[in-house]
Amino acid sequence: MIVEDTMRTFLNRITARSATPALPSSRVEAGPCAECALVTCRAGMRSVVVALRCDAPEACRLRTLGLIEGAPVTVLDCRHGLLLEVRGARVAISSAIARLVNVRPLAA
Amino acid sequence: MTSLASSTSAVSSDLRVALIGNPNTGKSTLFNALTGLRQKVGNYAGVTVERVEGRYRRPAGGEVTLIDLPGTYSLTALSPDEEIALAVLLGQEEDVPRPDVVVVIADALHLERNLFLASQVIGLGLPTVMALNQFDAAEAAGIAIDVPALIAALGIAVIPTVATRGDGLDALRRAIDQARSFPPADLRLPLGEPITAALAPLVAKLEASGLEAPAAHMQALRLLAVPSPEPHLRSVPGVPEAVETARAAVAAAGRDPYRLEAEVRYAWIDEVVRGAVARERPAGRTMSDRLDGVLLHRVWGPVVFLTLLGLVFQAVFAWATPLMDGIESAVSAVGTWVSGAMPDGLLRGLLVEGVIGGAASVLVFLPQIAILFLLLGILEDSGYMARAALLMDRLMRAVGLPGRSVIPLISGYACAVPAIMSTRTIADPKDRLATILVLPLTSCSARLPVYTLLIGAFVPATLVGGVFDLRGVTLFSMYAIGTVMALVMAWVFRRTLLKGPVRPLILELPPYRLPRVRNLLLTVWHRVRLFLQRAGTVILALSVVLWALATWPRTAVSPELPPAAAAEAQLEGSALGHVGKALEPLVRPLGFDWKIGVSIAASFAAREVFVTTMGTIYGVSDPDAESGSLREALISARDPDTGTPAYGALTAVGLMVFYVFALMCMSTVAITVRETGGGMVGAKWAAIQFAYMLVLAWVAAYVVRVVGLANGWGV
Repeated sequence: MIVEDTMRTFLNRITARSATPALPSSRVEAGPCAECALVTCRAGMRSVVVALRCDAPEACRLRTLGLIEGAPVTVLDCRHGLLLEVRGARVAISSAIARLVNVRPLAA
Repeated sequence: MTSLASSTSAVSSDLRVALIGNPNTGKSTLFNALTGLRQKVGNYAGVTVERVEGRYRRPAGGEVTLIDLPGTYSLTALSPDEEIALAVLLGQEEDVPRPDVVVVIADALHLERNLFLASQVIGLGLPTVMALNQFDAAEAAGIAIDVPALIAALGIAVIPTVATRGDGLDALRRAIDQARSFPPADLRLPLGEPITAALAPLVAKLEASGLEAPAAHMQALRLLAVPSPEPHLRSVPGVPEAVETARAAVAAAGRDPYRLEAEVRYAWIDEVVRGAVARERPAGRTMSDRLDGVLLHRVWGPVVFLTLLGLVFQAVFAWATPLMDGIESAVSAVGTWVSGAMPDGLLRGLLVEGVIGGAASVLVFLPQIAILFLLLGILEDSGYMARAALLMDRLMRAVGLPGRSVIPLISGYACAVPAIMSTRTIADPKDRLATILVLPLTSCSARLPVYTLLIGAFVPATLVGGVFDLRGVTLFSMYAIGTVMALVMAWVFRRTLLKGPVRPLILELPPYRLPRVRNLLLTVWHRVRLFLQRAGTVILALSVVLWALATWPRTAVSPELPPAAAAEAQLEGSALGHVGKALEPLVRPLGFDWKIGVSIAASFAAREVFVTTMGTIYGVSDPDAESGSLREALISARDPDTGTPAYGALTAVGLMVFYVFALMCMSTVAITVRETGGGMVGAKWAAIQFAYMLVLAWVAAYVVRVVGLANGWGV
């Protein structure tokens, strides 16, 4: 418990400064109607999957992990590919895959 | 393994139980908790997927054989692991009887995603029990699961467990015992009349091929989503065509056939979760979120990763050394005792130099294997390995390898044997094979005595740029050359022999957890035992063969010769000596003579043998890489025809470059055979590996020779 509290304090101090890095201009702001590639979404953005345009094996695997058409997804981090929250689990996908996933961002 | 496979079905009080679940659900912990040390690890026939089985006694008598299937997110069969899991459950796997009961282990923290696999397994119609693991963690996170409601929705027994504490295990054992006495769950997902009609011909075809009705329905839905049916269904007449027809019919009914299964299953899962799971408080920022803020940081992430890698490398390289020295001393003491207890002769030579020497060659690897797998186990079980794979993915994919390859490659700097064994964490077969083929190019610790001897003898201690010692620069260059060539050859293999698309990264990041000591120790024990059983026997046999080649035919030597000279004469007259003389025309263009040829041939046993063989040839008793006497002997060696120095800096560099690239290590060859499929398949890949590295070594050493002579760098 003491170790956990100490780590929590330490991490809070470090991560308080590591805010979402400056975004490239291509990243979209949240908008309820725009459809875009998942790779353009910024960290913290929630969206709904519209279409998976990747190859069949990748699409099959993404759907198995819960990334199906109509499912909500949250971008947690975009520093190394994309880190997503899907149905409560954290899934990392490469930017190459994220370019082939169309989503509809939800209003913040 | 076949003895395990055939034992249980004939005895009615025995059960065969398959354990299946998503990765990171605590499946291994549960398996270890149920079976303890009563486990066997091997391979499924024809593939490098591990087959792990264990046993425990049933409460009412008899034994349960528990088969720990590979962790999988679904029965989609897109990878060898998933194909094996499905084949075992369908009774299609050679030498593995169909299980009597299936235990699906689900993570209570991520029940939604886990229910995808669970629904597929239940749909197969086998008696099934769910172990709802990490129940305590779910409660702590504010997730309330109504277990009776879940039981009602799934139609199977659901047992909350905390495998790390052993909670729920007795109830789980009782549920497994009683599973066959309950009617099988009839989990038919609501498809609607048009879709049911569209799938009916495919279901009929699958039933005609031998599948029972529930499994045929589950398979029909699953086959729509996968790119192609698994191997045993592809060969059934009419199935591939029936799948295509079903897809067209489903599309005509207004649904996308490739999305249908996922949509239908997750719609059902959403309904189940609505009725059985309640979140008592919103999910907040977890410890894993905070740790990822640092460990996936653009700067701190790679810094932490390189630090941890350095620690792994240091541990395998340095911490293992005292243990390895201890083993060598102990075996040497045994050899000395045997030498003293037996009369001089060939039998003593066989025992001491062949068998005991060979045993030393095997046992000396154990500390490195144990330490490496202990550390890798800590990284894997803590959840950090997935982050490391993510950090390195982009860099490694530039040469056609996945991010996970970086750990085995770095481990290869210590020793290729455990490093090749650790490639089992790489899921894609071509990625794994490419990593194994190039891994020995990273300069392992066994090459260091060769480098140390030659650099010490022939590279002057001058300064480069006024700062760096030329000897240190030379040593670093050898490591750099090997590393660069490993990446180059990976790129070449992924575009030629192992051509195929580089699968993009899709990876679940598990929450961070404290590794379980018991799991780690069991993993290390299994790896050590596997090494001793499979590679150890081959290495020992080859040691005896090499001893025999260095011993026969016997040469009559004058009794007046000192022992060192007599040993040199014996070696020259032996089969190995003749091999060296036969090799001389091949190595002469590289600037090597028959003595280096013999030493290279002998060093196939282990690279360090080069030093001891050269010591024998030059009559140096008890030689080692640091010994001045062997260096002096090499420096003062003369060409018998011209009287000029036999060796110089150019020869030394050429020889070191040769050793950077050549696969002079029978242990590595043996483990490659094992890890690339065993039998003829494994022998083929090991032969390819040996051949391409030998060609690289020869060409590189020749280029060094030609360029060096052209630039007047001496001999």
